[in-house]
Amino acid sequence: MLSYLLRRLAGSLPVLLAVSIFVFGFVHALPGDPARLQAGPEASPAEIEAIRADMGLDGPIWSQYLRWAGHTVQGQLGVSTKTRQPVAQVIGERFWPTMWLTLVSMVWSTVLGVGLGVFSALRRGSAADQASMVVAISGVSFPSFWLGLLLIDLFSVQLGWLPTGGYGTWQHYVMPSFTLGIGVAAVMARFTRSAFVEVAREDFVRTARMKGLSRSVVAWKHTLRNALIPVITLTGLQFGFLLGGAIVVETVFSWPGLGRLLVDSVSFRDYPVIQAEIMLFSVEFLLINLGVDLLYAAANPEIRLS
Amino acid sequence: MFRRTALLALPLVAAFTLGQAAPVRAEGAITIALDANIVGLDPADLNDNLSMTATRTMIQGLYGFDKDMKMVPVLAESTDANAEATEFVVHLRHGVVFHDGAPFNAEAVKLSFDRARDPANHLKRASLYAPIKSVDVVDEFTVKITLNAPFGAFINNLAHQAFAISSPKAIATYGKDLGRHPVGTGPYKFVSWETDTLTVAKNEHYWKPGLPKIDKLVIHSTPENGSRMAMLQAGEAQYIYPAPPELVKVLEKSPNLDVVASRSIYARYVAMNTLRKPFDDKRVRLALNYAVDKAAYLKVVFNGYGVPLDSPLPTLLPGHVSQTPYPYDPAKAKALLAEAGYPNGFETVLWGGNSTITVRGLQFLQQQLAAVGVKVSVEPLESGVAAAKIWNVKTPEEATTMLHYTGWSASTGDADWGLRPLLYGKAYPPVLFNTAYYDSPKLDADIEAGLTTADAAKRLAAYADAQAVAWQDAPWIFLGSDDNLSAKAKNVSGIYVLPDGQMLTEEAAIH
Amino acid sequence: MSDTIRTPFGEFWRRFKRQRVALVAGGLIVLVILAAIAAPLIAPYAPAEPDYNSILEGPSAAHFLGTDAYGRDVLSRIIWGAQVSLTVGFLSVALGLLVGVALGLVSGFLGGWVDSILMRLMDVLLAFPGIVLAIGVVAVLGPGIDNVIYAIAVFSVPVFARLVRGSALALKQSLYVQAARTIGVRAPALMLRHILPGCLPAVIVYASLRLGTSILTAASLSFIGLGARPPSPEWGAMLADGRSYLGVADHLTLFPGIAIFLVVLAFNLLGDGLRDALDQKLRT
Repeated sequence: MLSYLLRRLAGSLPVLLAVSIFVFGFVHALPGDPARLQAGPEASPAEIEAIRADMGLDGPIWSQYLRWAGHTVQGQLGVSTKTRQPVAQVIGERFWPTMWLTLVSMVWSTVLGVGLGVFSALRRGSAADQASMVVAISGVSFPSFWLGLLLIDLFSVQLGWLPTGGYGTWQHYVMPSFTLGIGVAAVMARFTRSAFVEVAREDFVRTARMKGLSRSVVAWKHTLRNALIPVITLTGLQFGFLLGGAIVVETVFSWPGLGRLLVDSVSFRDYPVIQAEIMLFSVEFLLINLGVDLLYAAANPEIRLS
Repeated sequence: MFRRTALLALPLVAAFTLGQAAPVRAEGAITIALDANIVGLDPADLNDNLSMTATRTMIQGLYGFDKDMKMVPVLAESTDANAEATEFVVHLRHGVVFHDGAPFNAEAVKLSFDRARDPANHLKRASLYAPIKSVDVVDEFTVKITLNAPFGAFINNLAHQAFAISSPKAIATYGKDLGRHPVGTGPYKFVSWETDTLTVAKNEHYWKPGLPKIDKLVIHSTPENGSRMAMLQAGEAQYIYPAPPELVKVLEKSPNLDVVASRSIYARYVAMNTLRKPFDDKRVRLALNYAVDKAAYLKVVFNGYGVPLDSPLPTLLPGHVSQTPYPYDPAKAKALLAEAGYPNGFETVLWGGNSTITVRGLQFLQQQLAAVGVKVSVEPLESGVAAAKIWNVKTPEEATTMLHYTGWSASTGDADWGLRPLLYGKAYPPVLFNTAYYDSPKLDADIEAGLTTADAAKRLAAYADAQAVAWQDAPWIFLGSDDNLSAKAKNVSGIYVLPDGQMLTEEAAIH
Repeated sequence: MSDTIRTPFGEFWRRFKRQRVALVAGGLIVLVILAAIAAPLIAPYAPAEPDYNSILEGPSAAHFLGTDAYGRDVLSRIIWGAQVSLTVGFLSVALGLLVGVALGLVSGFLGGWVDSILMRLMDVLLAFPGIVLAIGVVAVLGPGIDNVIYAIAVFSVPVFARLVRGSALALKQSLYVQAARTIGVRAPALMLRHILPGCLPAVIVYASLRLGTSILTAASLSFIGLGARPPSPEWGAMLADGRSYLGVADHLTLFPGIAIFLVVLAFNLLGDGLRDALDQKLRT
């Protein structure tokens, strides 16, 4: 197991390398001139050139890449071209707000989604099954920014129960995490139900039932365990969906997180921040994928750790 | 650890305790919600209104503006200029102290200016300091500024927030990090600046007696219009700017809120690239001016809050002279187009920014021009793309700009800065912003005449002529000057939006 | 079709007919598609025709769903907008599905270094949350509906690929595939005839969700200013524009919002029904 883990981690290095080239290429493919943007509308051409050199945007592109990659490996992320703060600080300030929002949303939506999915699967075909699936499906069919604006109008403006936005107390989490998680809960519910129903028809489950094991034992011990495999995959995928969805939700709820930072940085062509942030996303993702694969193996020993 | 548990339990807790979430309001505190993020807090290193507004709470200059954008002395008492407008002797206010205890004097002015204009420091506003040759200390409270060349409007530059004076002690202590540690002589002292929130507190030793009237001021960045509105309605903010014009009706319905509209010095226009066909033909440019209904423009885009432009300069800018308007007359527009050889119109591209309200303007223009046969494809550009496509063009031949919908406010409050960057023959991008690529020897002469004298009457005459020339040549579709709209809680007073969009908060009070 | 021997499609149809909800959803989608095609005939006004004398009016006899900030008829824009929104949905999913399924199948079935390389590649793509990738693509290519389609397709690829690979991995171990292999069925045939059908339910469930997601993502892109260009009546753009008028002219968000909601809902319900129907066929 440990050697598998180490091998996988080592295997991630080429991916990170590829991502770094990809990101660097992407950032430099963006139309626009960061030096010009930073210099502002009233700067002279000479000032712009000076800023360009300052930003390390002079010289051939490969040498720029090597310089950046070298610094990044040493943990020097550079300075934001927009605010001149160290990038590590810019990202650090916004990392936890986004992380907490994502985690909170993930937890409630997974619990609710898997619960609802199993509930439906056990009562397959009943009115309760159909009703809960229609509710779940409605949840994923809302444009999230519209939902967010409607929630603000109702709970903050009309009722005055919850803050309109911002970050701080638990009250600040309620609407953003609801808006962010509702779609995921719906997807999880549907998928869990599908997976559960599918596995329930497999031979080994039927055998178990024929052996006279009780319905609930079969449901929990045999079915759920196997149905979990696709659910785990989906959880990993949804995590990325959440991080992405945070962009819209953070904008609607003025949440000081990474999603908004990314949009702002892209539009300001804040190269160091974009690069560092996407690298961070990538590392998070690789770790999540690794986790998913490990869980896979744990849930179904038949899939060998080759 | 407690935090973690609390947060994970949140969805459950949330279901039961919703009722307790009413926002807590500290006494004597005002929160202002604005539409963008603060970029930094070093006045010499900023070029956005919002960050400058933020620094105005803490850091002051020799001159400043009152709420009508009339220039007033702040840390200066008076200034004597020589006749050639090359030497300015400034007499400073006595007895002023920076937040960190350092005394305000001629030495401090010199240090702050020299730091800002030193090219080695790469500060964004160095260009505004470029006319300065030297700054000399005459005595403790007198400073002499010598310019490279005559510059009649120089005192107006001193009123620009870029000339605000930071504490010499802070400059020495923080160096490059000054933008994170603002120290000035203003009514409020810096407390903290986190991602979206700047907090400043009352300066107990402020040099104006009786001010400020509140203990704490918070500036919150809330870019999304709806969210900003909601903050005000929910009582989380007491003042918002800008207030979306289309939502004024909602605000008016509320018994606790006021809408504040004031004239601005924005000029909104479409620059037509006069070097390119078909806009090299004056008849085409005139046709487009007749094709656009300015009243409808203001109604659709700004909910009626604004006035049509009747000169390249907006009404409120000193030196403005009204010209004869181009009335809305699509038939005349079509006739002019036919005369110019375009009886069936033509196709062209319209560029502009990508904010909600700008895109609304672009759509409106597209519809108006379609009605006279001009098919416009609209391209809202992100700022990064605009920088490359519009501003970074090396030569006029390289420019692909056709129609460019944009706006301008002269942040020095002077006619020179309202005309020169936009219409002067030597102001083509990338130097300045003449995206009409307009070049008229007559207007150039006027602008140069205005620059080289400090004589107010001569300057006014020069700018009056420049306005007439530009109006008749019509390098722009002249659109309008929209109002500054803000909204506030009824019990808040003393916060003013200047005509250029910056704000004054010195007299802010809550009753 | 005889009563005793059914074709696979006949079997599927027999099952599908029982899914009442899905049938209704399918019917709705067909209706929307027809309306989109017939837009020039049935829309009461031109979608981009302004009327500054009747701006921001609520629903009335002249304008069933009211008018927008330029006095344009909201109903007509929604009907025309169906063309745009459906095109975005179908094209982006089709593109993403084709590429993704092919990659996932090859990867899962062949395993080994092919699997490693392909999946690491997918990891690279997955390393960017979907909308981030979309924002990136649109930022580089520029806004506009074509680029929105590419952007959404790109981020669907790794999702399909991983999903199919997951199923393929499991199916590869299954008895019937092992059996087919031992009797000498060749790899391409094995993949297409034996493994692909096994992956289909998952793919269809996800594709149906994806159609909805695509329409929603296009809307999100419009929300952050990177979507369809004006005056396109793409539903997301209508919704995003209309949000400025929440509280003054709620019909500007209500109706496009409902349109998006219903169509996305219909795709999802249809997908569910299809899945059940396909599944039952596969069981026999």
